[in-house]
Amino acid sequence: MSICNLKLGEKGIISSINGDSKLIKRLFALGCIEGTEVELRRRAPLGDPIIINFRGFDLAIRKNDAKHIMLKK
Amino acid sequence: MINVALLGNPNVGKTTLYNALTGSNQYVGNWPGVTVDKKEGFLDKDIKIVDLPGIYAMDTFSNEEKVSKKFLEEGDVDLILNIVDSSNLSRNLYLTTQLKQFNKPIILALNMIDISEAKGIDIDYKKLSEELNVEVIPIIAGKNKGLDKIQERLKRGSFNSPLDSHKYDFSTEKEAYEFIEKVLSISVKEQDNKKETITEKLDRWVLHPFLAYPIFILLMSVMFELTFSWVGQPLSDLLDGFLNDTFIPSVENILASTSPWFKSLIVDGIISGVGGIIVLLPIILVLFMCITILEDSGYMARVAFMMDKLMRKMGLSGKAFIPMIIGFGCTVPAIMTARTLESEKDRKLTALLVPFMSCNARLPVYTVFAAVFFESHRGLVVSSLYLLGIIVAFLLGILFKNTYFKKDEEPFIIEIPEYKMPKLSSIYKQTKDKAMGFLKKASTIIFAMSVVVWFLSNFNIHGMVNEVNDSILASIGSVIAPLFEPLGFGNWQSAVSLLSGLLAKESVLASMQVIFAGDLSVILPEHFTTISAYAFLVFILLYTPCISVIGTMKKEYGTKLTLFSIFFQLIIAWISAFLVFNIGSLIF
Repeated sequence: MSICNLKLGEKGIISSINGDSKLIKRLFALGCIEGTEVELRRRAPLGDPIIINFRGFDLAIRKNDAKHIMLKK
Repeated sequence: MINVALLGNPNVGKTTLYNALTGSNQYVGNWPGVTVDKKEGFLDKDIKIVDLPGIYAMDTFSNEEKVSKKFLEEGDVDLILNIVDSSNLSRNLYLTTQLKQFNKPIILALNMIDISEAKGIDIDYKKLSEELNVEVIPIIAGKNKGLDKIQERLKRGSFNSPLDSHKYDFSTEKEAYEFIEKVLSISVKEQDNKKETITEKLDRWVLHPFLAYPIFILLMSVMFELTFSWVGQPLSDLLDGFLNDTFIPSVENILASTSPWFKSLIVDGIISGVGGIIVLLPIILVLFMCITILEDSGYMARVAFMMDKLMRKMGLSGKAFIPMIIGFGCTVPAIMTARTLESEKDRKLTALLVPFMSCNARLPVYTVFAAVFFESHRGLVVSSLYLLGIIVAFLLGILFKNTYFKKDEEPFIIEIPEYKMPKLSSIYKQTKDKAMGFLKKASTIIFAMSVVVWFLSNFNIHGMVNEVNDSILASIGSVIAPLFEPLGFGNWQSAVSLLSGLLAKESVLASMQVIFAGDLSVILPEHFTTISAYAFLVFILLYTPCISVIGTMKKEYGTKLTLFSIFFQLIIAWISAFLVFNIGSLIF
């Protein structure tokens, strides 16, 4: 499952990130890496993007990108 | 001379620290080849501080990162001043681990220690310093605490290069973060106090599924009311009144004995031209003050978040929404705001599309034409023009997204920072900088343009003329008028008015009043049909903006993009007016 499958306020542990290499590089640099705990904080009023929280800060990311952040079951 | 490079993540107080260290001793330029600010300032005459762009890392290939990396490699840096958010060390130290690879002495400025303390984060500065082999100075930049320690340390000099870059040569980000976590486990104790922060409380309303947009519209309305009804416009009117009723008459008095052409050059050319732009200053200042407050408070990041889904359809990220909105007021500050966008592609595309948002100066033309030709549908006609501008921008955005800017697709991830109380000194400084930039432009490019236009409208090959109809401008008008024949307004008067609109969109109407010399409601129908009048308005809406905008474009994005923008808008305006006139004539 990916971050997009979380409910608001629910947390998960990242297992892997796929997709665009630029995106991966950016997320990795921010510390969004395997083993990091991540929470789904909020959805935009129009449903997309979403706000996720990891390492103590909020990050807005499009669902299309977020669906590549996979979580451990 | 000691060269200090100031680096840090975005939203960690870097600009506050930079301003506190360098005061008014600052110079802003551009890094070669990219639209990234190059800011240099001096602590005293021997200590230069270069404020590098806010970045999270050095290896994700954005222009900001390339600029920073290149500067550290080639810029003869003696010391790196790395500011970090002490309440969010694990992410902030990632950049630090990359800075360590340059073998330069580093001072780690731990900012916002009051916030980290309130969050129950207890940092052992000494251990942190030992683990990373850097000097650590705790500060609260927003409250001017600890800044004297940084100044002292910079002035004392004698920095030792650590030569431990080999320890930081991690092969993956995961390794780097594992290292950071190890360092933090030794130097930081964190209590888990799960209190709901102010940011979380505010966001429950500000980003509420139903209330988010009403709150946004409310804030924008207040901003525009402040600018155009409560403060900005009244001040601008006062200035305008002073210029026309006091300043110009007294200058005319002083120049009474000089020759008429000289008097006309000074009064009709320079003072009217430059003055006409300077009276816009209060509007721009108020608008910018509001934007700075919204930006510094952290609200703008949320606007970007809310609007992203809409903006993405035209190839832009949510952040570009703000310049677009400002464009309805005045295109100049809109293009200046586009500078705050993250990627160069967004900045350029926004600058190209913003002029299609109908600026305030075009409204008088719409109002007069609507009153003459569309008596019973005035409101409808005017709003249809605004809407048309948005639609055209939208379609062109889609077009550009798939052609010119196709290669540069950037993933959209933005940090949503915690809310902060905007600092008065920062608002003052940013607004002042904008004002100075604007005045500088008025005194250079607009000054020159005013003289040129004055000359063209007052002279022909035989010398000075009394009537604008005999001037070079009128001759140029007659030459280009046939270009507008297919659009339904091929008379030279319209052509000249459009030309004068290049100086300022307000002058279209002013010129028409001069050229047609009489009651416009009687004369205009002699030259326009209802359809060609609407086609004319469409052309006014879409064609090349005024020289203030062109000057701003050139300053921010260079000559190439500016020329492209000018011709591209002319073509779009021509095609649109052509379609309106010809399809309209078929139907009605």
